[in-house]
Amino acid sequence: MTPPQETLPGAGDWLAAPELAPDAADPVMTPLYEAAARGALALPFCAACATPLELDQYVCDACGASAEIGTAGRAWRDVPLAGTVHAATLVHRREPGLIVALGPYPVIDVELASGHRLVLTTATPSGQAPDIGVPVEIAFRTIGAVTVPAVRFPGPHRRPEIPDRRLVS
Amino acid sequence: MSQPPAIIGLGMTLMSVTAGPGSYTLATEAVGVALADAGLDRGDVDGMLVGSSQGVREDRLGVALARRAGFGDLRLLEHLEIKGATAVAMVTRAVLAISAGMARTVICVFADAPIGPGKAAGSTYAHSGGNSGIRGLERASGVLGSVPTFALIASRYLHASGGTEADLCAVAVSARAWASGSEQAVNRKPLDEDGYYASRMISTPLRVLDCARPVNGAVAIIVSSARSAGQEKLTIEIRGMGAVHPMRRRRAGGESWFGGGGQAVDDALAMAGTSRASLDVVELYDPFSVVTLCLLEEYGFCESGQAGKFVRGGGIAPGGELPVNTGGGQLSGFYLQGMTPLAEAVIQLRGTGGDRQVAGARTALVTGIGGRIDHHEALVLAREAA
Repeated sequence: MTPPQETLPGAGDWLAAPELAPDAADPVMTPLYEAAARGALALPFCAACATPLELDQYVCDACGASAEIGTAGRAWRDVPLAGTVHAATLVHRREPGLIVALGPYPVIDVELASGHRLVLTTATPSGQAPDIGVPVEIAFRTIGAVTVPAVRFPGPHRRPEIPDRRLVS
Repeated sequence: MSQPPAIIGLGMTLMSVTAGPGSYTLATEAVGVALADAGLDRGDVDGMLVGSSQGVREDRLGVALARRAGFGDLRLLEHLEIKGATAVAMVTRAVLAISAGMARTVICVFADAPIGPGKAAGSTYAHSGGNSGIRGLERASGVLGSVPTFALIASRYLHASGGTEADLCAVAVSARAWASGSEQAVNRKPLDEDGYYASRMISTPLRVLDCARPVNGAVAIIVSSARSAGQEKLTIEIRGMGAVHPMRRRRAGGESWFGGGGQAVDDALAMAGTSRASLDVVELYDPFSVVTLCLLEEYGFCESGQAGKFVRGGGIAPGGELPVNTGGGQLSGFYLQGMTPLAEAVIQLRGTGGDRQVAGARTALVTGIGGRIDHHEALVLAREAA
């Protein structure tokens, strides 16, 4: 088991250098970052049939309703801050200058209660990847001046360690 | 004499794991080798298709290659961009252009040089991607380069299939066994299970030996309706082509990371009038070990969830039921995107594979994938009938 990590003093975010702050002015993503700044998770839905849309999707594949940026066809709504782990990895390679974490860090594909899937890391330092299916909550972290959603675990998120996975059939 | 479009030339540079010439220099070298291989001069070529890696690179290959490599007027000149599927797609585009009378002889070129002085390829990839769009959020979450994403795919695939790391190990060991007989492969040292499990973890469950081996290098393929006398043994027919771009959605209700690529292979086989059972070699785009497992299932060679068992049983290794990635693929051979499987298929069908030659290989499937297994291009190639 990888031990918990410490954050570099004065490094800001525990994981990413300020150079990795996302472009909050990108019109595709602005509603998400504006919501994150007030502690909410906003995601896009089709205004006509309420199908969860991908973050950069402007025409609903379920009903065909379309929306240009800023129109009513695509509705950003605050969603529950809850989901489950759809996939997860513990990244051991840390790119110098971009990753400031002192040890391996988790990347988690979260299936939100709203139906959307987002790839996020944890809100606070973590040296473990959670098991698939584990419940998670959405919290927030800030890189540079941009707040982004992140994962928080309400309870245990790992099964007991298996010494040698080669023995598992 | 005009014939159906076929592959009549192959040019490969040395695949280097150290810094050296840039992509234009490498591409120019590959072009020269391919022309010599086909017995052609630059003036015989009237079309060029160019592919390159995504991301911001000063030396990213583009259509300027035609000028820099000394070509005259061309009737067809394009830079194609379908991510990793580009190289295989270039052959399809060349066939379509020739069949439509828009060109007669098209050279398809791919080059990459991610390894620079004091800079590993992984670092080059980690700095590519930008800060906007969904990628901006993912990069802020630590998704640098493609490894973390494919580690998520591996995590999900093993969960869905009931597989284990042993399945990934078997792919890597099989690839190395093939590579040991390939002069072009950069990783030829014998590999066993202990060696695999001892290799360093990059992003669970993917170890370094689960990841493609980036190189600086170039490959050029010449597609033409012309035939040179005495070149018959080097001519490879393009019998089938197919493509599919499955629109998996990033939302609940299905798998987001894999599935839906089979139509490309079905279509290519149908056009060729052949079947999976008639294939002698299968050359897949395998940037990560888990992709081989996904594609064996998506392309109909294994039932869902059975690829791991098939590979662990030696199914894709030398001497196995289905020879797959016979040059070591991208894991142990070299990572030059779709040119890796394409070049190996040409080598096998020509019978010039040396120690890793599959005896009697006459028909090959070649596939390229792009993005996060988002784009599939397939070709059925065959040795031209005597």
